Amino acid sequence: MRRSYLLILILVLVSPIFGVIGAEMVGYHEPLDVAAELIGLGESEPIWTGIFPDYTVPGVPDVIGYVISGFVGVGVLLLPALLRGRRD
Amino acid sequence: MHIPDGFLSPLVALSLYVISLIVVAYSGRKYFKEGGDIYYLSVMAAGIFAAQMLNWPIPGGTSAHLVGGALAGILLGPFGGCLAMFMNLLVQCILMGDGGITALGANTFNMAIVDVFLGYLIYRLVMRMSGGKKFLAGFFAGWLAIAAAAVVCGVEIGLSPQFGYPLSVTVPVMGTWHLLLGLVEGVATGFIVSRVEVIGK
Repeated sequence: MRRSYLLILILVLVSPIFGVIGAEMVGYHEPLDVAAELIGLGESEPIWTGIFPDYTVPGVPDVIGYVISGFVGVGVLLLPALLRGRRD
Repeated sequence: MHIPDGFLSPLVALSLYVISLIVVAYSGRKYFKEGGDIYYLSVMAAGIFAAQMLNWPIPGGTSAHLVGGALAGILLGPFGGCLAMFMNLLVQCILMGDGGITALGANTFNMAIVDVFLGYLIYRLVMRMSGGKKFLAGFFAGWLAIAAAAVVCGVEIGLSPQFGYPLSVTVPVMGTWHLLLGLVEGVATGFIVSRVEVIGK
């Protein structure tokens, strides 16, 4: 299971290549957000934008913010595994 | 496939909150009663969260990322898969604002229930029919379950007058688009399940 942690680590570290750099190259937005803009729904603010809105950290460059928010998300989800370990 | 706030009518959003809550609670009971370990849910949810951060940009201003519901259902069994996907969606919604908080019920229904349970069933079916070909079974499970989840998503937003497009538009658009994108999900699912030990049954 060590390999799972390593895999997750690598995924988060390379994720900005796709999620930020590549996204900026093609002017990417979440498909359903594009749809919302097309029909004028875009102006309605989301009710809750999250602590790291769209995987960004306010005041931090997008690439680094993406990795930081990724580690926080992964960290929260991994807490039970890290605290309790594997039974058996 | 994460539905933001403002797309769903209150009735659709609320109904799916109720249904999803029941299924997730039932899955929790079943998973832990059958001796499931929270360790696997935790690692699977984190892995899916990380994998979903890899958006593949598609020229034209859109992108696709793996969803992983079928994969989670195959590896952990449907109840564990449902719980792991729900944990992932909850963190995405609350921490990242990815998927609207009013649409969490709908997003759970599409990605933690339809994708997981249907993916699991298709996997079992193809495994039986093909005499145990894991890649093939994982491929069809990942591919068809994500297309089905997209159709369900199309139904939800099509039933909501807020979105402005009728079912006759939303369902074919979501369905055909994900039938195409889902091929990637299928290959990835097939590849992983043919190389990883299956924990659930």
